[in-house]
Amino acid sequence: MKAILTIGFYDLKVILRDKSAYIWLFVVPLAFVYFTSFSSRPPREARDARPPLQVENLDEGFMGDLVIDILGNQGVRAVTPEKNPNANPKKGLRIPADFSERVLDKKEVKLVFFEITGEESNPNDLLVELIEANLLRTVITFNGYLLEHATNVGNRPISESALRKLIGKEDPVALDSSFAGRKPIPVGFNMSLPGIMVMYLLMNLLIFGGSSIATARRSGGLRRLSIQPVNALQIVFGKLYGLMLLGVVQISGYLLAGQFLFKVNVGDQLFAIALTLLIFAWVSASLGMLIGFLIKSDDKVVGLAIMISLPLAALGGCWWPMEVVPETFRMIAHVSPCAWAMDSLHQLITFGSGLQNVILPLSVLAAYGLVTNILAAKFFRI
Amino acid sequence: MNATPLLETHRLSKRYGDLRAVDEVSFEVRPGEIYGLLGPNGAGKTTSISLACGLLKPDSGKISVGGLDFWNNPKAARRKMGVVPQELALYEELSGRENLEFWGRVAGLSSRDSKTRATELLEALTLTERAKDVVKKYSGGMKRRINLGCALMHRPSLIMLDEPTVGIDPQARANILEFIKKMVEDGVGILYTTHYLEEAEDLCDRIGIIDHGKILAEGTLDELRGQMGDEQLFVIEGGFANQDPEQWPGFLDEFKVVQKKDKQMVVSASQEGDPADYLKKLLAVPVQLENVTLKRPSLNDTFLKLTGRDLRE
Repeated sequence: MKAILTIGFYDLKVILRDKSAYIWLFVVPLAFVYFTSFSSRPPREARDARPPLQVENLDEGFMGDLVIDILGNQGVRAVTPEKNPNANPKKGLRIPADFSERVLDKKEVKLVFFEITGEESNPNDLLVELIEANLLRTVITFNGYLLEHATNVGNRPISESALRKLIGKEDPVALDSSFAGRKPIPVGFNMSLPGIMVMYLLMNLLIFGGSSIATARRSGGLRRLSIQPVNALQIVFGKLYGLMLLGVVQISGYLLAGQFLFKVNVGDQLFAIALTLLIFAWVSASLGMLIGFLIKSDDKVVGLAIMISLPLAALGGCWWPMEVVPETFRMIAHVSPCAWAMDSLHQLITFGSGLQNVILPLSVLAAYGLVTNILAAKFFRI
Repeated sequence: MNATPLLETHRLSKRYGDLRAVDEVSFEVRPGEIYGLLGPNGAGKTTSISLACGLLKPDSGKISVGGLDFWNNPKAARRKMGVVPQELALYEELSGRENLEFWGRVAGLSSRDSKTRATELLEALTLTERAKDVVKKYSGGMKRRINLGCALMHRPSLIMLDEPTVGIDPQARANILEFIKKMVEDGVGILYTTHYLEEAEDLCDRIGIIDHGKILAEGTLDELRGQMGDEQLFVIEGGFANQDPEQWPGFLDEFKVVQKKDKQMVVSASQEGDPADYLKKLLAVPVQLENVTLKRPSLNDTFLKLTGRDLRE
């Protein structure tokens, strides 16, 4: 056991001594996480799909702000030309200066709904109709809150805090909606972080694993190890341990960056996510070792590692969500271990599942690990 | 005194296809001696050492380490031996000290023991000042010394050195040879392969001359020289390219041809006699001679006699 730990620890030391390794281990993958997140992210404007309404709040009291909040809850985005220059609202709403005063005096007050000069207005514009409907619902809701307040406290004066409390209260009847039959599509960092993690774990462990074994074969390092009081299996597991340590270093870096830099929630299912990545690292490390035992030339090892890792990553859903590809492609994709790793990670990060829901992908990955590990041991060559 | 040999090989053979790389090689290394395997490149030295240390399995034959059959308990046998391979099998990105500690730990030393032993060896190998430098910044001689040190970490009683001075300058070679001589004083046994005649003459207590996978002769330096008997060797220089000594009248009755090259021949006198008489007979050969020299047989001449070729070829 001591020999295994020593071989692995020193292998890791050798890899981490090379400063350029950090570029491939961390800098490039994290840059990819950032940039590729844009490809699966909706445009900035589309992220708030509510129709814009230009609001001129002239009210000197607190009621105008309440109306704007209720507008938002009713599906209208209140914008101003200063804060939202690109919103292009077609309609505007003016809240008069004495709005609060007149409401508090229980007098009638009118909100002005107007057309914005220069913006073409189509009477059949669905968005305009939506805004009008939501504005109407806003007014009704606002009056409803006033009525509820009056019912609750009688003739006591209306306060902002009391009204806000009413607005924040849970509705007695609510509609809880969720996706039926089809899963939501992971987007943004929720897509790019697991995809790039899986791809670079595979690629780096294939390259560093294959290359370190091939180098040790060329330099005589493996021959020298073979004449020490250790057997071939201890050498294989020592090398595997070193690569798993490298995997742990990468996984830790990616998860920390994911949680704190990209704000992806990995903390809730940290154990299950780390377990998925560790089993996947086992598959990748064993495959890397196998390449190193079969091929001695460094250039060929690196070339083959890239030729294997990129197609497996693309096929396995690291570049685009599996949810957007046809069913047949999805079935074929599961030849790649990346697909099983991605299944598990999406379940844990995006779909809110727990460890009990990812037993199948983890078991398949473990089977891949076992087979590649046995092959690596079988093809052990000095 | 018949101490159990530290290493004993008995009729070891190894074939690669039709090539007999090692052919029934037997030798032993005793405590406190340096046994040299001397032969040209490709003679079978490295294959022999690879078989002796268990890196290769022989097709036939037996290896005993400290009296125990190697392949019955290879781990126990390997604990007793330290092998210095011809190649520099080092972690170039790690320091000299880290390399020593790594091989010490793989050989079974504790962390503390490997640190202590590394300090001792760095001092003995005069590398203390460069201990923290990465190996890739070392000179060839320094790398060779660390390569040697890595095999000595666990204090083996049997050390196998496969051409440990290849490719280094004379000063670095002298340092390594000096270090090896000191090790023998502590009672370890050394198997040393080389194709440098001077190293074998200077270092080895007993020498096995190997060529084409076979041990042709074995013994101490004096014993090997003695194989030439009291023969007188004559080196004659001239143009021999198109000459056949068999055609020279009576020549082969008086001389044996040890080696014939285009411009040089080495011959020995068939019988004892006055060297001056032989010199006269040589000068009478039907070739224009440029020089004739009488010399005492050396180890190289023994090699020449046994193989018909020069060790340096």
